Amino acid sequence: MTRAWVANGLSRDLPAGVVMHGAWHGQDLAIWRSASGQIAAWKDRCQHRGMRLSHGFVRGETLSCIYHGWVYGTSGACGRIPAHPGLVPPSAIRAEAFACCEKDGVIWVAPAGTEGDVPDLAGLHPVRSLTVEAAGIEAPGLTGMEILQGSVMIAGQTVALGLVLQSLAAGRTAVHALCGGGGDVVAVSRWLEDLRRRLERGVAA
Amino acid sequence: MISQAVLGEWYPVAMAALVDAAGRRTLLLGQEIRVFRDAGRIRVTADAGDLAVTERFGHVWACPGTPARALFTIPEADHPGRRLVDCGVVRVKCSPLRAVENFLDIAHFPFVHTDILGAEPHTEVNRYDVKIREEVDEVWATKVHFYQPQAAKSAEGGIVTEYMYRVPAPTASVLYKTCPAMPGEWDVIAIFVQPLTEELCDVWPWMALYDDVTPQAELIAFQQMIFLQDRSILENQIPRLLPLDPGMESPTQADLTSVAYRRWLKRRGLTYGAQMVAA
Amino acid sequence: MILYDYVLSASCYKVRLMAALLGVRLDHVAVDFHPGREHRGLAFRALNPAGTIPVLVDGDLVLTESTAMLVYLAHGTAWMGGDTAVAQAQVQGWLAFAARLGASLGMARLHDMLLYAADIAAVRRDGVACLRQMEAHLVERRFAGAIWLVGDGPSIADIACFPSVMLAPDGGVSLDDYPSVRLWTRAVRSLAGFIEMPGIHRLHELKPAPEAV
Ligand code: FES
Ligand SMILES: [Fe+2]
Repeated sequence: MTRAWVANGLSRDLPAGVVMHGAWHGQDLAIWRSASGQIAAWKDRCQHRGMRLSHGFVRGETLSCIYHGWVYGTSGACGRIPAHPGLVPPSAIRAEAFACCEKDGVIWVAPAGTEGDVPDLAGLHPVRSLTVEAAGIEAPGLTGMEILQGSVMIAGQTVALGLVLQSLAAGRTAVHALCGGGGDVVAVSRWLEDLRRRLERGVAA
Repeated sequence: MISQAVLGEWYPVAMAALVDAAGRRTLLLGQEIRVFRDAGRIRVTADAGDLAVTERFGHVWACPGTPARALFTIPEADHPGRRLVDCGVVRVKCSPLRAVENFLDIAHFPFVHTDILGAEPHTEVNRYDVKIREEVDEVWATKVHFYQPQAAKSAEGGIVTEYMYRVPAPTASVLYKTCPAMPGEWDVIAIFVQPLTEELCDVWPWMALYDDVTPQAELIAFQQMIFLQDRSILENQIPRLLPLDPGMESPTQADLTSVAYRRWLKRRGLTYGAQMVAA
Repeated sequence: MILYDYVLSASCYKVRLMAALLGVRLDHVAVDFHPGREHRGLAFRALNPAGTIPVLVDGDLVLTESTAMLVYLAHGTAWMGGDTAVAQAQVQGWLAFAARLGASLGMARLHDMLLYAADIAAVRRDGVACLRQMEAHLVERRFAGAIWLVGDGPSIADIACFPSVMLAPDGGVSLDDYPSVRLWTRAVRSLAGFIEMPGIHRLHELKPAPEAV
């Protein structure tokens, strides 16, 4: 079964006024945050000539396409076509929106209208995301399927960890990592680097 | 299956001056070919034998099938006083047809060639004339005007530049623009696109200019700068193939040249690099 | 000062960018690197026997390594990254790292764009290793409330590394997997006096939306 809500990175990596590339089960997305902090996820394709909107730029509460500057509001409607400044764009010209929300510092996307809650990671704080090129992700001390959770000894300290997995392609997984309050984030980040080296060596062996 | 219409066209495969005996191994419409000099003569060979070859506008042109007509002409190439500039090759991961369509487009100037060929707030594209000249079977756009902060290497400051665009072959386009150094004359800039596959192409820009002053390296640099600004756009359009299904994209009045180009491709069955129906 | 320059070269751009950020005026001599291969010709070899670009000439001084040019331009300014032993050593480390970026991501770009011969899988793999190393470093810098490679402000270390990283997609290496690297590239592009090169778009958002004309 296809999972509806897919983790797409950490809130701390998408500040206001920034757009980034995302994906929902192989569907490319543009995920962006307006100046006021509103987040949105759209199909990564401008209606005009198919340019990736994730290459665009955020001005205030709008996302503009980099190719011809078409301006889309947070609702997804195109509000301005610079080549025809006097024209009110037809309402059919709009970005295709996905549902997008943030919880516990993780960005989640799902098809528009998806019901149900995103997974709960209360008590954990975002650390970083990294991509692992390995067949499967297993970390000692952590259990779970799409979210690995548990406690791990890192640099002499017991740290509560949550690894949210996002499958990018066969053998490519983004790991969005969180840790409990008081965890040494630098040590956790280095532990993750080490975990990745181990997993990728396993594939090569 | 590649249609006879596609096979019967001429395609650029090398810069003539750079072809030596060792030659260049490359692809044309997905087929391996070799371009090399043999006793002073340029040959293009594939597994099945020699391709029809002609040498024109600084480039080697090959036809993988039976030529439907002679290679198009650019009369300005023979005007005395013009400098002919070969700009080299740039590979782009996109449909050869998308590369041509981008060349026909002015509305992107303020965003992609910022402060050179265009700049906000001067983004408006006024109505211009487009037609298919039936007698030569070419797409032509004329009376195209656009505000440019720095129209050419020899231009100082902003001016409204006039353009004409022409598509004489499915993977070639020629533009004529007001020549700042020679009022009343046109600078000629072309792109010749070699379709390696439907989603990969080698682009050979070429120019015929009235400019005795600017060093060759600077003329080439200017053209390469402009084209390389387009490259990251071309590699990020979805889908890679040029959609001929009118429902896939949303053209506006500014895109009339591209609309005519797509219609012309469809009518002539020149669909290598195109997508007929939405995937 | 004269810069022998090529518009598509990441190394030449390093020097152009540094000069622009410092407000230093350079005179440019365009070298027909592609397709003319002028840098391999006799005249150019007389200037730089190595046959590489860029070359920076200031009176009798001829510099042929782009990182040396950054040092020459930035000498005596905050762009040197601070004068403690640690800071200087770290800056040197990143200047050397920039050469690795050029040999990996830079070579992948020359292969994909200008048809240079290269073991494309190998250079891309090396490029990914470099990007991962940089990401790990910048993640820690961000934990410390910083964004630059060394210290609290931008330095020649950032300028030396920026072009090859930002141009990685030209060589078929995506930056999608490196969020901290992406935020760092935004920081560089937001600097007052920043100039772009083909393949690197400016941040249009730094200019307000125009009034309808
Ligand atoms: S493709 Fe987006 S504005 Fe043209
Ligand atoms: Fe362009």
